[in-house]
Amino acid sequence: MAKQQKEVRDLGEGGYVLIDDAACKIDSYSTAKPGKHGSAKARIEARGVFDGKRRSLSQPVDAKIWVPIINRKQGQIVSVDGNDMQVMDLESYETITMRIPEDVDASPDDNIEYLEMEGQRKIV
Amino acid sequence: MYPGATADRTEANFVVVGAPLDASTTFAPGTRFGPRRIRHFSETFDDYDHRTGRRFTDCAVHDAGDVHAWDAVDEYLEFLEGTLRDVHWDDAVPLMLGGEHTVSAAGAGAVDPDVFVCLDAHLDLRSEYDGNPLSHACVTRRILDPDDYDDAPDIDVQEAIILGARTGSEEEWQRASEDDVTVVAPEDVPAFVPQLEDRLEGREAYLSVDIDGADPAYAPGTGTMEPFGLEPPTMRDVVRTVAPQATGFDAVEVNDRDDGQAASLAGKLLREFVFSRVDALES
Repeated sequence: MAKQQKEVRDLGEGGYVLIDDAACKIDSYSTAKPGKHGSAKARIEARGVFDGKRRSLSQPVDAKIWVPIINRKQGQIVSVDGNDMQVMDLESYETITMRIPEDVDASPDDNIEYLEMEGQRKIV
Repeated sequence: MYPGATADRTEANFVVVGAPLDASTTFAPGTRFGPRRIRHFSETFDDYDHRTGRRFTDCAVHDAGDVHAWDAVDEYLEFLEGTLRDVHWDDAVPLMLGGEHTVSAAGAGAVDPDVFVCLDAHLDLRSEYDGNPLSHACVTRRILDPDDYDDAPDIDVQEAIILGARTGSEEEWQRASEDDVTVVAPEDVPAFVPQLEDRLEGREAYLSVDIDGADPAYAPGTGTMEPFGLEPPTMRDVVRTVAPQATGFDAVEVNDRDDGQAASLAGKLLREFVFSRVDALES
């Protein structure tokens, strides 16, 4: 999996983080101030990018953590077949099949944006 | 560690979290020592509960320690709420040890109940106290009307039931007269307890025990004593009644200015809560 290492203190709301090996988008980031003899601790609430599951973690701010590298891509819908659609990547012209999300009204020739990581995709 | 809270975090049905906030106490301070005192004065309680026939150490309680408090109360509440929400997401019940009453906003925010039930001498319905909307005198208002304050918890409480209240400002009594607030005077609480069960049926509650709800004769170790208060057995009956419906619990406003009476009562009510909830869910 494409990922990079950061310190917990470098994370922020709207960014991404790996929790339980799942790529998550950070919904909230709060920090506990250090006691006289402790290090500051950060608490992160995040939602799985591809599974939508809520996750959280609590770590010292200087702990190392993995951040997934997620590609944002442009595509064009070529055709729609039931719950699936054919999408052409506008950079590589590769054609892929994607499941149409329930809240998306897909029609041929529409342009879409999607996130991709290791074969997992999500329409933005 | 809270005595008998020996379960692993991953297997716990209840998680004790200390919240020693002592920022806005208006008369006698010392709530920063509350969690420590409650743990200490619970050491003498028997593991076995004769009424339910259960042992506290079998009730899957874990003690996660304290969330160290600092001066920026809004930031502290945000972090504390997140810590308690982790417990809630794990399908466990947070048992918070205060700390001033302000911490209940984090507890209620974490579990987002339908009803906020509170044992308290004071209405705590002020929009602000001494210019501070996060004063311990405003906590029920923050929970009931979160939209009044930018950083209030994101909750949708339908109703507040305040048991044992006997004082408040004119503004507070006006707010209390609206349909979403029920105030029961100390002398009327015993007769109200059977109705409480019906009122809570099918709804999730958060139970907050402000120890000053008790008469100061029973719990002098608290910041703002108010005479003509509740008898401990009445408080116990309320806790037993609410526990089956409660997804969050706290005992707050205990300080170190007595010989342990307030802490002992708070610790005992916490155990009553655990025994009653386990008994109701498993029977």
